[in-house]
Parts: sequence; structure tokens; C-alpha cells
Amino acid sequence: MTFVLAHFGHWWSSLLYLAPVVIVVGWLSIQAWRDRGREEDPE
Amino acid sequence: MSRRIALAAGAALAALVALPATASAHGLVGRQDLPIPRWLFAWAAAVVLVASFVGLATLWPKPRLQVLKERVVARLPAIGEALCGAIGIALFVLVVYAGLAGNQTATANLTPTVVYVLFWVGIPFISALVGDVFSLFNPWRAFARGVAWVGRRVAGPDSLPEPLAYPERLGRWPAAAGILIFAWVELVYVDRTDPSQLAIMGLAYAATMLVGMSLYGIDDWERRADPFAVYFNLFSRLSPVHWEKGRIAVHRPLEGVVPLTPVPGTVALLCTMIGTTSFDGFSQGSTWNSLAPHIQQGLLDLGMSSNLAVQVTFTIGLVVMVCLVALLYRLGVAGMHTVGENHPTAELAGKFAHSLVPIALAYVVAHYFSLLVYNGQATAYLASDPLGNGSNLFGTASATINYGVISATGIWYVQVAALVIGHVCGLILAHDRAIAMYRSPRLATRSQYWMLAVMVSFTSLGLWLLSAANQA
Repeated sequence: MTFVLAHFGHWWSSLLYLAPVVIVVGWLSIQAWRDRGREEDPE
Repeated sequence: MSRRIALAAGAALAALVALPATASAHGLVGRQDLPIPRWLFAWAAAVVLVASFVGLATLWPKPRLQVLKERVVARLPAIGEALCGAIGIALFVLVVYAGLAGNQTATANLTPTVVYVLFWVGIPFISALVGDVFSLFNPWRAFARGVAWVGRRVAGPDSLPEPLAYPERLGRWPAAAGILIFAWVELVYVDRTDPSQLAIMGLAYAATMLVGMSLYGIDDWERRADPFAVYFNLFSRLSPVHWEKGRIAVHRPLEGVVPLTPVPGTVALLCTMIGTTSFDGFSQGSTWNSLAPHIQQGLLDLGMSSNLAVQVTFTIGLVVMVCLVALLYRLGVAGMHTVGENHPTAELAGKFAHSLVPIALAYVVAHYFSLLVYNGQATAYLASDPLGNGSNLFGTASATINYGVISATGIWYVQVAALVIGHVCGLILAHDRAIAMYRSPRLATRSQYWMLAVMVSFTSLGLWLLSAANQA
């Protein structure tokens, strides 16, 4: 933990590269959840 | 199952964050002059991938690539094949001789540049453009065929014993192991640029291939177990040109990779290809360089020598990166498994493995393009002075490397384009296979949500690895 925090300055900018992944995975999860709901309730 | 996938996805994302900014881009020279921050390229690439996914879902309702339609355009005479094989053997002998007898300074000797630049990096580029040319020049195959030809002439056409059947369960595992070992030598081994050691390893490799070919047959061994032949063949499948048994055929781009048989070891090989290239970039970054000493110190405290500690540390990094890539792919496949028809995970992993081939090529182009462009020029002077003893065979011994041939900014755009195009091609291949497998286009599209997430992850990872090239 100390190591990770000590090097926070190195890697915080990496979060910007992770953001599109998080957004896409989040969007796809919502989409998959909605699809499943539609499947269970065809009306 | 969904919870397990979510947990695994969380672990993979956490691993991505915990493996921070790194450098790569061999031989990158100069400063990149970009109009927008580098991280915005990752965002733009993700947008391109999502747009491609939506476009495929709406405009590509039927499979179009599942049947390979080829047109034979030329035939290579037997003498041409023999000649190419002889050239391959001659080049191999030259490289081994230069390594053993030449100057042992890596930059003055032909062997390291041929092995790491022209062979390892150059042939994938050529293969992706014009097909499996390595198969024609493969020195081990040519030698084995020559020996078999002589054997038949001397002892009679039916005198040679039939080869053993290649064990199906081995599949491409020998190739995966061979590529991992070569990557280990390239990225971990402390004497990786020692010309004489490279030459000895080349001889050992050739001997292993010849034993394998004599046991299991030349073609079967080359197709499944010769690591470099399998590696280059995978890239050549992306080319619209197909060389096989003396005939040259053409087909649509990408179509050649669709019939890839998912024998055991195929996914492992592709994950090894992507993971080792990723580690090459990662190991040059500031994060690894700040993390590695902590691991090394732990190993030194256990009583290891400093060389051994360095190698063990880098081996751990290499294996972890390959495992991370395999985990990401496995997540995509596990996600697909939850959709609709419940295809077994193992079946899905094999059926969609071909979509990793353009990604592997994208990673090679992105990581090694600058190495090929800059260090490839060293061939001009090394060809004139292969042993590094002052000779000037072709009058080019005084040639130098022109670092102005392409700017650092130009290289960055090539890298971004390679990653985006490679991943879009991966999406196309996966979508086409899904359309063929699932009973409705809607189910097929839903199954591909997960592959889209995998592709976006690989693209972001690739750009993230490259982005720190100027920060190291």
C-alpha cells in the first residue's frame, strides 16, 4: 500500500486511459441488464 | 457466473491501474509534437471501436467471411521453391557463422540485428502484407526436405519410414512454448545480444526442429510445432495472398484467418504473442523500473546472485503480463457464455481465437515499427561487414542510420493507427463468427458486448503502454 501511494504521482494519469474501458464496460453492463429484462418480460 | 465475471473484471481493471504509465517504442528518437494529449487518443480509439461495433450490428446481419474464396493467380515451379529454401539455408549459415566467428560486440555483428530486427520483427510485417514467405525460405524445412529427397533418391521412393502421427493434444502448445522462450531470451536473458550465444541457440533450435520433423513429418511439425513457422503463418493469414505448396492464391483481406483451426494451444499462443509484446513495452517504463528493484531486493535477500535476481524478476513480469492478457480474453469469452445459447466456454475460446490475430499484429506494429525503421537500416552496413572485422563487401560499410526518415510524431500516428485498425479488424472477425454461430443477429450482437469490452481494454492497454515512451 505504501508503495502504491508513494508512486501515486506516477500512475494517476493512467486512470485517464482506464476511463474509456470503465465507461464502455458500464454502458455494456446496463445494456446487457436491459436486454435480459426485455427477454424475461416480452410484453 | 455473472458475479464471478464481475469480480474477475474488477481484478483485471485493478491490475490495469496497478500497472501504471510505461514506456515502449524501441528506438524512438525526438519529441512528439501532438495537437491533443496522448490519453485523448485512447478515448478517440474507444469511440471508433464503439462506432464500429454499432455499425457492424446494424449493417452486417449475415456472415460474409466464413467461407474462404480463393483465386489461384500463379504457380511457383519446384525449382523456385528449392532455390528459396537454399537461400534460407545460406542465410541461416551466414548468421550462425557471423555469430560464432565475428566480432562479439552486438552492434558490430550481423547476428543480433538479423535475429531481433529483420527476423523477429521484419518477417511479421512482410507476412501480413504478402503472405507466408517464411515458409518458402524456412531453412529447417528446406534442409529436412532436401534430406528426404536425397534419401528417396538413394534408398528408393518407399524406403523412408512413415512419420508418427502428430499428437492432437499437443496442438500449438510447442509453438506457444517456443515463442515464450524466445521472448524470454529477448526480454529477460542477460546475454541476449551476445552474438555467439545467439548462434548456438539458433543451432539448438534448428536441431530441435529437425528432430521433430523427422519424427512427425515435415509439414505437420511445421504447421503446428515449429514456433517461428507457426508465428509467422498466423500473421500471414491476414494478408490477401496465400502461398501453399507451390501455388499463389488471393482472397479478401482477413478471410484467410477465419479457417484457423482452434487446436489446443492456439489461444495460449496468441495470448503469449500479445502478452510478451506488452511486457516489452511495460518493462521499459518508469513503473516497472521502480517496482522491479523491490522484487529484486527480495530475491537478493533470499541469497540469489544479482544476475539471477534480475532474470527471475523479469520472468515474473513477463509471465504476469501474459496471464493478464489471457485473463482479459477469458473474461470476454466467459461473458459471451452467459448470452443466449450457452455455448461452452472452451468452445467459444477456440471459435473466437482468430479475432486475436489482428490484435497481435497491431501490437507488433505499434511496439516495433520504430525499431524496424531505424535499426533495420543497420542492415546496410552490417551486410558489408557481417563479422564486424572491417570488411566492406558491398561498399556500404560506412552507411549510417538516418533518424530523420520519420519523426517521432509520425511514429506515434502509425502506432495509434495500427492499434485502432487491428482492433476494428478483431471486432469484424468476432462479429462475423458470432453471426454464423448464434441463431439471431440480436443474440450475436449481445454476445459481442463482451468482445467489445475486451477490444477497448486491449486498445487502451496498448496506447497506455506506448504513451509513456516520451516519459521514460
